[in-house]
Amino acid sequence: MQRRAFISQLALATASTMAGDSLGDDHTLVHVFLRGGADTLNLLVPVQDDRYHRLRPSLAIAPSEVIGLGGHYGLHPRMKPLEAAFKQGRFGAVQSVGVDNSSGSHFECQDQMEHGDSAQGRPAGGGWLGRFLRLHPAAGAGGALSALAIGTALPESLRGAPAVSVLERLSDISIKGNAGDSVVAALQRLYGSEVTLLGGRGRETLDLFKRVSGLQQAAKAPEHGALYPQDSFANGLREVARLIKARLGLRVACVDLGGWDTHFFQGSSTGSQAQRIGLLAESLAAFECDLSDHRQRYTVMITTEFGRRVYENASLGTDHGRGFAFMALGDRVKGGQVLGQWPIQTEEDINLNTPGPGGLHACTDYRSVFAEVLRGCFGAGVNLAAIFPGADLKSVGLL
Amino acid sequence: MRCRRRVALGNLMLALSSCERMVTGINRAWLGEGPPPGPVAPPDGREIDPDFHLLSRASFGPWPGDLERLKSMGAAAWIEQQLHPESIADHACDLRAERFESVHFSAGNAYEFRKPVLRAELTRHTLLRAMYSRRQLLEVMVEFWTDHLNIDLEKGDCIYLKPSDDREVIRRHALGNFRELIRASATSPAMLVYLDGQANRVRAGSNDKPNENYARELMELHTMGVHGGYSQRDVYEAARCLSGWSFDRNRFWALNQGKSFFRADWHDDGAKTVLGHDIPAGGGAQDLDRLVDIVCSHPSTARFIAGKLCRRLVSAKPAEELVQRVAAEFSRTQGDIKAMLRLIFASREFAASPAALLKRPFKFMVSAMRALLADTQANSALLEPLQRMGQGLFQHPTPDGYPDEELPWMGTLLWRWNFAMALAANAQSGVRVDVLGLRRELGFAPAQWFAQLVGRRPAAQEAAVFEGGDEIRAVGLILASPAFQRC
Repeated sequence: MQRRAFISQLALATASTMAGDSLGDDHTLVHVFLRGGADTLNLLVPVQDDRYHRLRPSLAIAPSEVIGLGGHYGLHPRMKPLEAAFKQGRFGAVQSVGVDNSSGSHFECQDQMEHGDSAQGRPAGGGWLGRFLRLHPAAGAGGALSALAIGTALPESLRGAPAVSVLERLSDISIKGNAGDSVVAALQRLYGSEVTLLGGRGRETLDLFKRVSGLQQAAKAPEHGALYPQDSFANGLREVARLIKARLGLRVACVDLGGWDTHFFQGSSTGSQAQRIGLLAESLAAFECDLSDHRQRYTVMITTEFGRRVYENASLGTDHGRGFAFMALGDRVKGGQVLGQWPIQTEEDINLNTPGPGGLHACTDYRSVFAEVLRGCFGAGVNLAAIFPGADLKSVGLL
Repeated sequence: MRCRRRVALGNLMLALSSCERMVTGINRAWLGEGPPPGPVAPPDGREIDPDFHLLSRASFGPWPGDLERLKSMGAAAWIEQQLHPESIADHACDLRAERFESVHFSAGNAYEFRKPVLRAELTRHTLLRAMYSRRQLLEVMVEFWTDHLNIDLEKGDCIYLKPSDDREVIRRHALGNFRELIRASATSPAMLVYLDGQANRVRAGSNDKPNENYARELMELHTMGVHGGYSQRDVYEAARCLSGWSFDRNRFWALNQGKSFFRADWHDDGAKTVLGHDIPAGGGAQDLDRLVDIVCSHPSTARFIAGKLCRRLVSAKPAEELVQRVAAEFSRTQGDIKAMLRLIFASREFAASPAALLKRPFKFMVSAMRALLADTQANSALLEPLQRMGQGLFQHPTPDGYPDEELPWMGTLLWRWNFAMALAANAQSGVRVDVLGLRRELGFAPAQWFAQLVGRRPAAQEAAVFEGGDEIRAVGLILASPAFQRC
């Protein structure tokens, strides 16, 4: 028992010294990706625009059900758990953000966004978070735990990062038959001599194993009565919160929430999309509550590859569009407002800027928003020109 | 009547499942599933044995004795035999995999089963086929097309519809003609539900907009590739061609509820232009065939499919020249899958590519179990590690299928190591192996395990790690080593 306590104190002490020389301070960026092209028009509802209601006879959220925010926009009723954060100015959004890619392809747009690229320029190589971590060695002081993806696959955004861990639960980290650390030692020799990607990832995995072995003993119940929904997304956020509390040098955590490709029976205030919205909002609210004592230490960004068209299709869903509402949560967010323009397009004709008739323009380059998030989290020292080469970054005002 | 048949079959299944050990006994004693007669000679070259290389790509890794069999036949004859799976008796595998009732049912009748049963049976069937079938190249291509025409069981009613899609689209055409494969997929109930084709209706006189989901993925993922040269207008026009094709198992008047159908009054029957080809008005159900012809015969499709096959079977960045040759073969034969495979396996680029690929988790697991002549019925305990490694079967959520790139699989090495150590020690639940007994039967020395499993002698650095220690632990470490993660 004493030994365990000593080890975790030691881990704590090392981590905080390592964090000391990093960028600014000890901060974690939580990157939530809504996979499938989220229809943010039903998340942040343009409740006062008649065109929205006219083009969505079945899918529009009725004004009586919208949570009013005192302006052009209101929240979907299932966003209720985040209403307080919005009103306290800790949760905000930018409307009509997007990539300059008109293919309408999930995979192209996700890749482009995760790589931090433009459809025009040359790819900068790797993912935007991978580039950030590689360009700022101080941010990687946490080794295998400086960057984390919840799930089973490494996301493209972390491609090129010097070290990344992928896991579903911290408690999973164990190596079978490792009596007296002999298997770990043998694996270290096997993977140590590999100069390939495989070798590098093998060494990181071993490093992760060693670091987490200490943490596994620590208490893991959420604090302040935080109630996470029973879902892998919520579980992921809970594990991220544990790592933030343990101060193991976590800088970037990626958590995905899928199920947003609502071509078919999307629903409005109830239904399939409402269920996803509820899960998103409840999970984030639980995360906030769990980390009540660490509010200065994290920022959550919520993005998706593209928004959806304003009009509904014949199967009561929406097809791929362009612009979407980017959202962020945390003490450093200038929340309580929805920034950006409202470039709704209702013409029935095909427009070059949207992949089909009738969408929302992508007015703000997503890279301007991502760049602002990085600066907001890690200070003015972030080398944005190298992370988003060639981008004409503009101030957005969200962080 | 159907019900009674189910009960009868159910009883039979019950009897069978209590006889799982008997199946193993029969297979090993009479159906050639046991160790080969006579000692085997693990390769002892510095480089991976070329026949071992072929087995690593055109199969889920060598079963003990496969290498010797291939050497005595000659590689060309072996490939030709594999290209004609109907010529290969597969009784031992059938005995293990055919007993799952739901995989034989039509799309409509599969609704009789509960979801967990359908999920378990389809998954177990797939794993057992990959493990035990002697029609290995067929299984390799089944995996390829399952990714290419991905369907996630958890979307809508797909879980009821995928078993028949697996049988009648993927398995039927895996080594056949590409155009027929796409044609079958386009009206497969599972695909109609997965990519919302069933909801693509444009009712006459209405203001209905077509649902573009399937039309887009047909061009982007199934045929031409995202930069294949189609416009957003082409996607829209293709969706119009496809409107009216649907699936609805609740059509009480229909004779066969398990089939897709075409409703003329949901079809946009005006004139269309797709990729520069005019499709005149009034084509009705034939519009779909015209569209499939247009996209399948587009030069981008030949290139896209050739590139994808080369990335799966040769290397992550295949030589442009090889891709061009395979694409030309696709065009020359109008999409003959066998012809493309023949060309790939005979190419010098293939011969020069040993160990160039990373095994994805499914292949890693299956190749380890095959190499150790494992006995399994593929129950849920065995499927759990696959889930953790990130390749739960039929669960890829998006229509692009599980990726071939290395990076996405690099985050779950820990679970590979744990599976390797547990398997070798016969401690992985759901599967039985006997490392020491197998080695004695195969008649090689303990130090030859590396060569037997990897296809070459270990380098000095590698040998030093396995030397001296416990044999079972050494086999576990070999399976966990970087060398065994490649193929």
